[in-house]
Amino acid sequence: MGFFLWLEQTWLAEWVRSSTTGYPTMITSHAIGMAVMVGLAVLLALRVLGVFRELPLPALQRYLGLAWAGFGLNFLSGVGLFVAQATMYVTDATFLIKIALVFLGAAATGALQGQLAKEGGATNPAPSGGMRATAALSIVFWIGAIITGRLIAYV
Amino acid sequence: MDAVYDWITSTPISGFVLGYAWAWPTLESLHFIGLCFLIGALLIMDLRLIGFQRVIPLRAVHSLMPVAIVAFAVNLVTGVLFVFGDPHLYFVNPAFQLKMLFVLLAGLNFLLYYVKVEPKLATLGPNDATPPLAKAVGVASLAFWFLVLSYGRLLPYLGTGGG
Repeated sequence: MGFFLWLEQTWLAEWVRSSTTGYPTMITSHAIGMAVMVGLAVLLALRVLGVFRELPLPALQRYLGLAWAGFGLNFLSGVGLFVAQATMYVTDATFLIKIALVFLGAAATGALQGQLAKEGGATNPAPSGGMRATAALSIVFWIGAIITGRLIAYV
Repeated sequence: MDAVYDWITSTPISGFVLGYAWAWPTLESLHFIGLCFLIGALLIMDLRLIGFQRVIPLRAVHSLMPVAIVAFAVNLVTGVLFVFGDPHLYFVNPAFQLKMLFVLLAGLNFLLYYVKVEPKLATLGPNDATPPLAKAVGVASLAFWFLVLSYGRLLPYLGTGGG
């Protein structure tokens, strides 16, 4: 617990907790980053599963760089929110499940990106069973992360 | 204004939103999932409209329009339910007022797209550059919707609304 107590004493934690602008800046950046990452990642996964077939898969892949930029914003602002109340979050089961789902979602989207890259940009590749499974899991993880993230305030 | 509050809080909808412990977090989850789909679909469509990713055929990105419309509908319904659940929190809140202003502007911008831009796109080849008005509408769309998202998230932290 000493480490998490120390985190709460840092200038970043102090700024997020006590200033007028700290917490609103972090919570807004966190939502913007989430929308960009989850929105693009889930649409890509749905396309792999066979929805919006008119949209070429390589076209959607081109938005993944933007998706990861969104994830970076979401992650950094998440660190800011975490350190502000580190000792509370680290013992909160709902938060821990949410964080696990976020990292599983990022891992699944990253894995799907790797599987798609191996297709070499074929205009309409027929996704393998493995790719479909990764896509479906990524959707479950991201939606689960959003729901458990909301539940932190209630459970 | 008190009459509006009294009417809203007397409706069964208000009773439903406040009457079950699971209602508010469920609506919030749906609202957040909806905003992800809306922003994701808009990024793909508007960035193409602005002129990025021209290798993607215009008609192909257009296939995401139903996603944006359904996502907006989900967020409109869940958003109205929030207002019915706690009208005092929302109407007097400056973040809520700004959010609604930008929803309205985004709607007018969509109307401009539908009337002035979309008909022109039909005459373009799949990978052609888009006209200046299309680019402007795409920039405005992203700006308005990210402001809607930001003011929505800031709602509990700005202004004097009770909570």
